[in-house]
Amino acid sequence: MMKMTIEPVSAFSSLDVLVAIDEGLFSGEGLDLTMASRESRDIRSTTEGTLSSPVTNQGRLHERGDASMFQG
Amino acid sequence: MIVCAALVVPPDSSVYVPQELAHRKVGLDYGNGTAYAGLQMLEGAVPREAVTTCAAVIHPGERYAAMMRGEFDATVLQEPWITVAEKAGCRLVSTTFFHGTWVAGPDLDPALYAAFLRGVIRAVRRINADKRRYVSYFKQGWAAGDLAVQALTPDDFNLGRIQLREPTPIPEDEARWAWDWMASWGVLHGSFDVTAQINRKIEGEAHELAAQSG
Repeated sequence: MMKMTIEPVSAFSSLDVLVAIDEGLFSGEGLDLTMASRESRDIRSTTEGTLSSPVTNQGRLHERGDASMFQG
Repeated sequence: MIVCAALVVPPDSSVYVPQELAHRKVGLDYGNGTAYAGLQMLEGAVPREAVTTCAAVIHPGERYAAMMRGEFDATVLQEPWITVAEKAGCRLVSTTFFHGTWVAGPDLDPALYAAFLRGVIRAVRRINADKRRYVSYFKQGWAAGDLAVQALTPDDFNLGRIQLREPTPIPEDEARWAWDWMASWGVLHGSFDVTAQINRKIEGEAHELAAQSG
């Protein structure tokens, strides 16, 4: 079984991924997919950013090597 | 998956069309897809110099609550808070859709990505066969502690706002347009270089493998 960890996702942007996890569709393809959790150190508020210099939490776990993919 | 984003105003707002949001404060979660969708909806209705935004929190429920408290005149929401807002009498003055795009490093194994794609493709087919069956997912995660969301029934959801498509390689013209548009807002700098942004070798191999496995 291949293994992969992705950053956490929500239904509004990744309903397909959540359903695939719950209904065993990834494991049926030989993939053990897990979702990493963000720790408090990974979370900064978007209100700290500006339009041209935004603050986003997407990609932080990927940068640290704790997730292979994230949704941009 | 295709994300639906709606530009929403409170029930007592004098705004009925997006043009009336010129010089009005719109709360956006800068740096996220919904914020860029909001900018595009505004830009389609008013001159760029009349687009007036402020930073808002990323949590859509908290952003909706801030709008209802009068901290800004409008905001952009995604499901299930679009449905919550509509039930509360808010008006959607514009709605748009955008792609959620997966990002990975250059060391991603195409076989791994192909297995991911196959799982997603099977899920898309299942969901599209009976969307109503899966709307309960919108009540989980961020929405789990939100009383207004938890009060929604499956019939409350507008299934037209839940759109899923089987994943495809990223179209270069769309990626280039998005880069140039973001650069025009000062979010990105430099010129678009497709070879730096999209690894066509990994992408191509993964999609080919996924297609071979049906």
